[in-house]
Amino acid sequence: MADKETVIGVETRISGEIRGDEDLVIKGRVDGKIHLSQALTVDKGAIVQADVDVRTLVVAGILVGSIVASESVRLQPTARVVGDLASPRVMMEAGAAYRGRVDMGDVEAARAAVASRAVAKPAASGTDAAKARPAPPRVAAPPRTVAPTTKIAPRFVAPSAGDRPATAPASAPPAFPRVAGAANSAAPAWAKKKIRRR
Amino acid sequence: MANTVIGSSIVIDGEIAGEESLTILGTVKGKISTAQSVVVEAAATVEADVEAQTVTVGGKVTGNVTAREKLELRPEAKMVGNAKAPRIVVADGATFKGNVDMDV
Repeated sequence: MADKETVIGVETRISGEIRGDEDLVIKGRVDGKIHLSQALTVDKGAIVQADVDVRTLVVAGILVGSIVASESVRLQPTARVVGDLASPRVMMEAGAAYRGRVDMGDVEAARAAVASRAVAKPAASGTDAAKARPAPPRVAAPPRTVAPTTKIAPRFVAPSAGDRPATAPASAPPAFPRVAGAANSAAPAWAKKKIRRR
Repeated sequence: MANTVIGSSIVIDGEIAGEESLTILGTVKGKISTAQSVVVEAAATVEADVEAQTVTVGGKVTGNVTAREKLELRPEAKMVGNAKAPRIVVADGATFKGNVDMDV
C-alpha cells in the first residue's frame, strides 16, 4: 500500500492535524499541525501554516510555523519561511527567505517546547502564528528606535535645559556638564541662535 | 488522476477541501469536500462527512456521504451513515447501514 506517496494536491486545502509515518508532499494548503516520522516536502506554490515536527524537511514554498526536524531542514531558493527552526542540519540556499530563530542544538528540547506551547494554546493556532511573527522584529527594532531618541533628545532638551531641568535622558549626562559649564551665560545665546536659524 | 493522495500511514484530523480528486489510503476524521472524486481505498478509514462529485468506497466509512453524481460501494466496503446521490451502486459483499436518498 505504500506504493503511493502522500500528496496534498495543488487545489486541496486541509485544516487540522496530519500525522503519519511516510513521506508527505504538500502542493496545496495546510493549516494546523503536521507530525511525521519521515520527510515533509512543501512544494513550490504550497502554503503551509502549521507547526511542523518531522524527520527531514524540504521547503520550496511558503511555510509559517514552528519547525522541528530531527534530521535536516533545507530551504530551497523559492522558500519563504517564518518561524523558529530547530534541526541539527540546516541548509539555506541562495534566494530563500527566512525569518525566525535557528537552533541547531537540542532538538528534543525544542520539540518539547513546541509541544507544550501547542498544548497551551490549541484554540487559535491561526492567530498564534500571527502572534509569533512579530516577535523577531521586536528584538531587532529597539536599537533603531533607541538610537534616534538618544541623538535627538539632547539637542532638543539642551537649549531649554540651560536651566538644568530634572528630566535628564539616560544618555544625556555626558553632554550636560559641558552645556552646564558654559551654561549659565551661554544657554540663552544658544537658544537665541537656534531661534534665529529657524 | 488522483491529485491528492492520503497515504496508508497518514492520519488527518480536520477538514479537507479542494477542487481535485482525492484518494484515501489512510485515516481521515472530520470533513471532506471536493469538486471531483473521492476514492476510499480498501484499507482506509474515514470518519467524516463526505461531499464530492463521485464517491467510491472500498474501505470503511462512517459518516454522511453526499455524491452529486454517483456513489459506489465496492465489495469490501463497510459504510455506516446516510447516503445521498442520484446514482448509487452497491456491490455484492458491501455492508451498509443508513438512509438512502436518491432524490426521487
